[in-house]
Amino acid sequence: MKIFGRPIDPIRQSVLRRLFSAIVSYVLLSLLAPLGTPCVTAASAPAAPTSDAAAKPAIDPRADEFLKRMGDYLGQAPWFSVDAEVWQDVTLPSGQRAQAGRTVTLQVRRPDRFHAEVRSTRRNCAIFYDGKSITLLNRAENFYGSVPAPPSLDEALDLACDRFGITMPLEDLVVSDPYHNVRQKVVSGYDIGPVTVLGIPCEHLTFSLGTVDWQVWIEDGAKPVPRKIVFTYKDEEGSPEFTAIFSNWDFDTKLPDFLFAFVPPAGATKIPVAEIKAKNDARNKEGK
Amino acid sequence: MIMSVIRSTSSKMIAAAGAASLIALALAYAQQRSEPPRAAEPPRSFEAPRAAEPPRTAQPQRAPEPQRAPIQQQRPVYVNRVSHGTVRHIEPSPAPPSAHMRPGGRISPHVIRPGDPNADFHRHWHWNDFAYGRRWGVLPVGCISVIVNGAPFYYDDGIYYQPSDGSYQEVYPPDGAVIPDLPDGAIEIDTPDQTYYYAGGAFYVQQDNGYVIVPAPIGVVVPELPPGAVQTPINGFAAWQFNGVYYEPVFVNGVTQYQTFQP
Repeated sequence: MKIFGRPIDPIRQSVLRRLFSAIVSYVLLSLLAPLGTPCVTAASAPAAPTSDAAAKPAIDPRADEFLKRMGDYLGQAPWFSVDAEVWQDVTLPSGQRAQAGRTVTLQVRRPDRFHAEVRSTRRNCAIFYDGKSITLLNRAENFYGSVPAPPSLDEALDLACDRFGITMPLEDLVVSDPYHNVRQKVVSGYDIGPVTVLGIPCEHLTFSLGTVDWQVWIEDGAKPVPRKIVFTYKDEEGSPEFTAIFSNWDFDTKLPDFLFAFVPPAGATKIPVAEIKAKNDARNKEGK
Repeated sequence: MIMSVIRSTSSKMIAAAGAASLIALALAYAQQRSEPPRAAEPPRSFEAPRAAEPPRTAQPQRAPEPQRAPIQQQRPVYVNRVSHGTVRHIEPSPAPPSAHMRPGGRISPHVIRPGDPNADFHRHWHWNDFAYGRRWGVLPVGCISVIVNGAPFYYDDGIYYQPSDGSYQEVYPPDGAVIPDLPDGAIEIDTPDQTYYYAGGAFYVQQDNGYVIVPAPIGVVVPELPPGAVQTPINGFAAWQFNGVYYEPVFVNGVTQYQTFQP
């Protein structure tokens, strides 16, 4: 290589090449900068998502896949039973937090049978749904109350909650499409990775549902059932949590009709089931 | 041959780079020149004319400052949710009435607000031990004297006493009694018209100098029966009576609670 007829040694040649590429880069940037300025201005305004951002899923595909596996497995099971230990945060008047515990035994037969037993220190209650009515039984005080219900589990769960304020225990496992039930409310989700719950290998997933965070631990292997769930209510004072740990999953034992049919115990007293909607309507009337 | 071409090409490239940089500088200069001219600055005067100053007094008064919007502390708005442990019905319940705003913004630390009825959490409060007619030789430490319609009562954390035959007898909470603060564990009962505090079978309402016992409102739902309520079936239905007030069981939010009624 010669410059102005003089030979250049290899080291200088290398330096000159680098200098050349730097100059070319500078020139190109200088020429393109005015073209780029409008883009920067536009970006300062609320920008429409770029194609890359739009294509990026808010949910980790792996988390979504595990969730779908669990949902499909539960949704396609014709019947199942499971036990759960539930721990729920309670805020004391002092602001201190404590936990209230209860156990739930759930029996489900699709598409129209549900039975739950809920036990805690002072309570012993049952909920029956036989495709025609929902019955609450307070075993401790021997009261029961019944309301007519629609013929499918999903509708019955909605009616119970919306009209009577009854949250069927662990109803997210009971709905006909557990995957869609959760997925439609998920804002983002991640696969944390493998962990064990009570010694059972699980995949730990975490989802944001907006103001509530939801975690689920799904068993690895051929039976992808939830082994633990945790709700964190960030929109409530102190962000209380609700935890359920599942055991004794049984998809084999057939569940006969009599399990879901309510028969009043001896001496039981029928009492009314208050309808929330009616109460709200009455309040509105009084307000007017 | 190839090497000589490369060498001559490199020389040309360096020359081209130099030319390009000159072009870039020229373009940059042209762009700078093409920028819109700045607005003409107002002509600077040596001394700007001042507004006529007000006559000075011994203590100069400041002009009133422009009113500023009060700084509002952003506190998180918490929701009241009855259903927990469900994604399907995750939406919070409608917000409770504005009864949470107490006069002076004060919220008694003794009050319990009913939350999720499914959470079975019970703490034993002093008034849970109330037994009508039970006699004591001495009053508990810390009792206060309360006069209701000229009759003497003594009060201690939700339980009322009256002197009787040289001893003190536990009695029903007397309507009209005024106490300085609520008993521990009083349960807040919101109604459209009024916020009540329920403890030991008494319904309290806040007033300027404390809390006063009022007649039991009819139709309100309380989470538990008063201590010592007596089962009294009315027309074949289960009911309880305490201090002349009747309670009937009803499932509210899936849990047995008790509603006051008039037989």
